[in-house]
Amino acid sequence: MLMLLFFCYCAVVIIGTGLLAVTLRNPVHSVLMVLILFFHMAMLYLSLGAEFLAAVQIIVYAGAILVLYLFVLFLVSLKDEVRLPRFVSSAWLGRLIAGGLAACLLYILPVFTTGARGNWPADRVREITPTRALATEMYSASVLPFEIAGLILLVAVIGGLLLARRDKEER
Amino acid sequence: MHVLVLLVQILVLFAVVMLHVAYATYFERKIIGHMQVRMGPMRVGWHGLLQPIADGIKSFFKEDIIPEQADRPIFLAAPIICLVAMLTSLAVLPFAPGWVLADINIGLIFILAMSSLSSYGVILAGWASNSKYTFLGGLRSMAQVISYEIAMGLSLVGVMMLSGTLNLSRIVEAQGPSFTGMYLFPQIIAFFVFCVAMLAETNRVPFDLPEAETELVSGYATEYSGMRYAMFFMAEYIGMMVMSAIGTVCFLGGWNGPFTVPGVPFFWFVLKIYIFLFVFIWIRATLPRYRYDQLMELGWKLLIPLALANIALTGIARAIFG
Amino acid sequence: MFVKYKPKRNLLQTILHTEILQGMALTLRRLFSRPITRQYPDEEIPVAAGFRGQHALVRDPETGGSRCIACMRCATVCPSRCIHIRFHEDGGGRVVDSYDIEALRCVYCGYCEEVCPVNALVLTEIFEYAAYGREPFHFSREDLLANWDRFVTERNIDPDTYVNPFWRPRGMPRERLPAGKRLEVPADWTLEGQVVGAGYREGSD
Repeated sequence: MLMLLFFCYCAVVIIGTGLLAVTLRNPVHSVLMVLILFFHMAMLYLSLGAEFLAAVQIIVYAGAILVLYLFVLFLVSLKDEVRLPRFVSSAWLGRLIAGGLAACLLYILPVFTTGARGNWPADRVREITPTRALATEMYSASVLPFEIAGLILLVAVIGGLLLARRDKEER
Repeated sequence: MHVLVLLVQILVLFAVVMLHVAYATYFERKIIGHMQVRMGPMRVGWHGLLQPIADGIKSFFKEDIIPEQADRPIFLAAPIICLVAMLTSLAVLPFAPGWVLADINIGLIFILAMSSLSSYGVILAGWASNSKYTFLGGLRSMAQVISYEIAMGLSLVGVMMLSGTLNLSRIVEAQGPSFTGMYLFPQIIAFFVFCVAMLAETNRVPFDLPEAETELVSGYATEYSGMRYAMFFMAEYIGMMVMSAIGTVCFLGGWNGPFTVPGVPFFWFVLKIYIFLFVFIWIRATLPRYRYDQLMELGWKLLIPLALANIALTGIARAIFG
Repeated sequence: MFVKYKPKRNLLQTILHTEILQGMALTLRRLFSRPITRQYPDEEIPVAAGFRGQHALVRDPETGGSRCIACMRCATVCPSRCIHIRFHEDGGGRVVDSYDIEALRCVYCGYCEEVCPVNALVLTEIFEYAAYGREPFHFSREDLLANWDRFVTERNIDPDTYVNPFWRPRGMPRERLPAGKRLEVPADWTLEGQVVGAGYREGSD
């Protein structure tokens, strides 16, 4: 009962702050709504028993990525609302596409059935801590995707370095 | 019933920590005064002992000024975010065997998460005050905090590798009761990185440029008055205590000591925190301030490579010596 | 000019932070030394003899008033023009009607007490005379005489034998001084380092 109430609260807050984040005028307020959203997502992860993921969500997403969003917002001072050309020509076509996407998402929702599945059922994860389970899985079975993700991030870092270097040369 | 006991424990911890924060400010003034061959507060109460109470009453009664163009909701929320995030980290600290409010399995990274949240309060305060000084102070502080957060997290990875767990009580138990079991000795590089990162995370000298009085007129907290300013102040001191507590848990052996003091099981933990706080104050009385680019250079070019080297060395040593 | 630079730090000093530790050792030593603060309201501050503080007119023991003869020397010599004297002639002598000192204009140079031929004015050693507002600092003759009474009681002065060191102008021989000014020079007031005027003659004190 308590868990159901908790889930409902988190869900309502997530949807509410998500809507507020895209509709508020002040961009800093939108970013703060996203912060609240991330916090409640971390709480959802906690209720599912993925504690490491919750902590990492706050450290990485809320603590680092969102801060860099804030930096960009602060340092690029937007005087007026930026008007961009529309991506899709008519508004109603856009709403149709969005509605169709929502329908597809709702259609595949029954696929999520509860119960034990795969190598890591919930009680096995809880036995050795979720951190250890995640680490074992990531560094033994999925070590290749892990290394590829690391290389992709390295490309991003080198790209950033190159951009900064070029600015200095131009000066 | 269990909830009631928990509530009482929370209240007791809160009261004790607030008292410590108040008297930490008193001892800082006294110790820095004596290091500068003068006395600190002497008039209020015997040798100034009631000075923090006088300061508290003063903060309470000051007029609450909110700048006209300030972003009101964010202005009001910023000190609260700072203080709440720092106070939440107190819940996972193990003061004695079994004396933890919340014995969670991710204690260490929980504290890292809370410290990243508290730095949000700083930058929001800087932005919401709608003033040049505060904005610069907030930006600088935020950049400094996220840079040194990486170094701090990396320095703690060595401890995680040696102890095999993120649970703070088990890290203390893994160090054992003996003096040579402390992770200070095998992880001396990590301890150095952690100490420097600790100073930078809590915006203390020599890394206190964001709140330097001569540079930025109290930085991000310039437009705050009365109780809100006191909240920032409290958040800083609670941050100092939490970081000292993590330092003692991870490197100095937590609640272990040469002999157990009867009736006071948290004696050694609190003593080690006091030693850390004394070193904080000692460094404040001694060192000048880093310039901002020197600060960033130190964080990125010195501390992160050192911490990474420490992780590599620890891994190799563990692989060889099992 | 040969400038000696400090030798650059070697690697060991950088790693062990020798200079920072030396600084911290100094601070720690100072932590245990005696503070040099003098806690003012509880402890008295020693003032040197002749300290130029609050103005006062010396009470003449016979008449009970001031010794002032309205020669106007103090008003003339004051660089801030803060002394205002009014007098009238009365049968050969001068009678002082009003004697005002605006202490807020005063720069406490001490010229007035040096130049007075009858040693009527003195800058006492009292420095605790703060007030709220400007009125209390316009000393009239009665205020100045009351200041003298306060000086006598606070510092335990014998009013008959009191001699302020500044009453004796330095650098002039005794014969050239007026009669009231030919006082003994205090033993600790030697001429080394003192600024003397154009009238200084070798051998005078």
